[in-house]
Formats: sequence, structure tokens, C-alpha cells
Amino acid sequence: MQADDLCLRVSSDPRLLAVIRGVIQVWLEVCGLLEDRRHEVVLAIDEACSNAMRHAYKGRTDEPVDLVLSASEEWVEITVSDQGTPCPRECSEYRPLVAPAPDEVVPGGLGVRLIHEVFDEVRFCPGTRSGNCVTMRLRRTAKNEVDSED
Amino acid sequence: MKIETTVTADETIIAVEGDIDLYSSPELRTAVLKAVPRATTGVGVHLGGVTYMDSSGVATLVEGLRSAKENGKTFSLVAPSTSVMKVLELARLDSIFEVRSG
Repeated sequence: MQADDLCLRVSSDPRLLAVIRGVIQVWLEVCGLLEDRRHEVVLAIDEACSNAMRHAYKGRTDEPVDLVLSASEEWVEITVSDQGTPCPRECSEYRPLVAPAPDEVVPGGLGVRLIHEVFDEVRFCPGTRSGNCVTMRLRRTAKNEVDSED
Repeated sequence: MKIETTVTADETIIAVEGDIDLYSSPELRTAVLKAVPRATTGVGVHLGGVTYMDSSGVATLVEGLRSAKENGKTFSLVAPSTSVMKVLELARLDSIFEVRSG
């Protein structure tokens, strides 16, 4: 385990999303990420956990959602995994966010797009036996860091 | 999250406080979809006290907007907090809503 690493296992109860957000918020602060970036990263991780609860576990609240957070000099990396129903591949594919025409706006399908928007690298992979796993990486550039000279 | 609905002669105001996420957004969805068809002219969702909003909150607002259009009502966001605006901007959906300061 590295100095900044954090592992978290929470049950798939949406009430716990607020707890997850709080923990990640503080962890990102410890890592030295700028406040603006922290909000976006917290949002994207929240979306990944919400997807596990809603789609992989279909609303069951007593299943495990695992988060592994690690920071190196170059990257901040977060993996969210579940042991639920694997989501169809097309659900995790990158689709760019564009401003839709007012009549074409549809609710839903936004979570994965936000994850792609926030992170520099996103990799969806199947879990060990069943389930889903997403690894999200943010490059530690000067614009993201509190101690930036720029 | 706390929701308070106030019906006035011309507009129904739904004031929301706290976090809107997967856990709380169904309650907001119910309040919005109930208020829209009953409103005299339309609905204003006051988001000044919202500390956090995720994509389920965005989807709820999009549903409200669509329902308002179907019912011939107005639908606007009132005094959205910074974190609400950030999510809408990130989702490129900030321009589809009528936003007013108060």
C-alpha cells in the first residue's frame, strides 16, 4: 500500500452516497487537489457508485461497492467495482457531451458521460467473476493542484 | 434534502435545500411532476440552498422541463447554487433551462 491509499467498502444503499462523497472530498483535499477539481471528481465517483447501486444491483441495498483510491506523483486514480449484473458494453462507451437542441433533451444516461468528461483516462473492465469495474485517472498537472505556481 | 412547495396565484415555487442525489432525487421528481400540471402558469424550482446535485438531479429537472412543455406551462430554475450550475455546465445543459436570479 502507498502512503495516500484508501480502500473503502460500502453497502449499495443510496443513503451512503453522502458518506462516500464526504470521505472522497477529504481524501482529495489531503492529496492537494484544487477545490474546483475536487467537486468534479467527487461528482464523477458518485456517478460510478450510483450506477453500481442502480444498474448492477438493481436497487438492492445490501451488496458491496468497493472503492480503491490511490495517488502517485503523476496520477490520482480511483477504482469503483461491484459484483452485480454486468452492464452492457455500450453503456460504458464514450459519447461526447454536446449541448442538445431543447426538444432533444432526454433525462438519464448522463452519469457515464460525466465520468468521461471529468477524468483524463477512464477504463471500464469486467470484474473478476461477475460485476463491473471502472478505473478513473486524473493527471496531476499544475492546473489541478493547490500548490501550483501557475 | 428538504423540499417546500408554495403555490401562488401565478407560479408554484418548489424550494429545495441540501443534496440531490440518487437517494433523494425520487422525492424531488414526485414533487416536480405533481406540481407542473397543477400550476397556474408554471413552476420555478428554487435551487439556492442546494449543496450538491448529481446526474439524477439533472435528469429530474429535464423531466420537469419536458412535462412543463407538454402541459403548456413555464419551467424555470431560480437562484441555482454554484454547485448546481457547475453540473449543468459540465453536462452542457445550462442553456436549455430558463434561469433567473430570484
